[in-house]
Amino acid sequence: MAELVGIFASSHGPLIVRNWGNLAPAAKDSLNSAFSELGRRIKAARPDVLVVISPDHWVNFFIDNLPAICVGVGEVHDGPPEPWLKEFPHRTMAGHPQLGEHIVRTAVERDFEPSISYRLALDHGFCIPLWKAGLDPLPPIVPVVLNDLEPPFPSVRRCFGWGSVLAEAVASYPGNLRVAILATGGLSHSIGEPTMGEIDEAFDRACIRHFESGDTRALIDFLNERLPGAGNGASEIRNWVAAHGAARGRGFELIRYDPIPDVYVGCGFASWNINQRQG
Amino acid sequence: MRDYWLSKLFFDLQSPPLAEEYRADRKTVLDRYPLKPEVRAAVEADDVAALSRLVNPYLLRFYFHMAGMPEDDFVRKIRAAGVPGAARVRHG
Repeated sequence: MAELVGIFASSHGPLIVRNWGNLAPAAKDSLNSAFSELGRRIKAARPDVLVVISPDHWVNFFIDNLPAICVGVGEVHDGPPEPWLKEFPHRTMAGHPQLGEHIVRTAVERDFEPSISYRLALDHGFCIPLWKAGLDPLPPIVPVVLNDLEPPFPSVRRCFGWGSVLAEAVASYPGNLRVAILATGGLSHSIGEPTMGEIDEAFDRACIRHFESGDTRALIDFLNERLPGAGNGASEIRNWVAAHGAARGRGFELIRYDPIPDVYVGCGFASWNINQRQG
Repeated sequence: MRDYWLSKLFFDLQSPPLAEEYRADRKTVLDRYPLKPEVRAAVEADDVAALSRLVNPYLLRFYFHMAGMPEDDFVRKIRAAGVPGAARVRHG
């Protein structure tokens, strides 16, 4: 039996890397502190495999073929193709086909039909948190692409359900594995639209309170109402909702939140209280 | 609604060699894509507002960054482009 040993979330804004040299010292301190603590917690969980949930930023998929969910089942994934990530230390990353395929089988049994890929390129959404959190050596990765970029998006409720499927798949995996989940993206931000650069701090803080409380119904209602107005990048909070589903709706502990205008993102970092008993 | 060929152009331009060719000779690259005349005109005019209604915002932002438009200019133009999320779909 595999064991879910940690569930985490992290922002992944590209300017965290691309604009690093121009960030104010306070922004750098905030991000360094957050990623350092995130990395410490992931390492402390000692995962054999890391399931990473991120959108695909037009790297693997295009509007001629755009899955809602895709699970990477390959033995190897390619590193980030973005030229500004050429310093990322891995040109390829190991996968875990057995767990990836088991997730897909479990999903189909639970009425989800994810697409599969035997060779994904993992863009900045995957790689910035892995890199900045200092995960070296990297555990094998099962990437899960969730479409947060191009409507129609999976519903918030469905994303929660997808996370539940991930937890079921880990629990029923016929092998001795320690598995952690890392959801990336969010919180509020706007890219390439008229609100570009705006961060909705009030939305972010309310969102965080809902995740902390563990009240799933209230979280879903809140996001259904407010997510469409929090910037197109906020859609990536769907990945956090999937993580919340994997945590069976247990609340999370905020590691850090700072709205950082120089990276355009309300930057959030968290870990779920997976050992907390449910009421 | 997305314009397929405009989206395809922006998507393809993520390839560094094609981006380099495009920056050196935009017309030759554009000739390979069957863009509608008004869409091609908007590309040639760097019309952020017009293009923003036809393509995913992330690809739009990427394109103008790749094409060399300073970020401040792009932000100013996209903010002037109108109501955000005209194509945003609300799903529960």
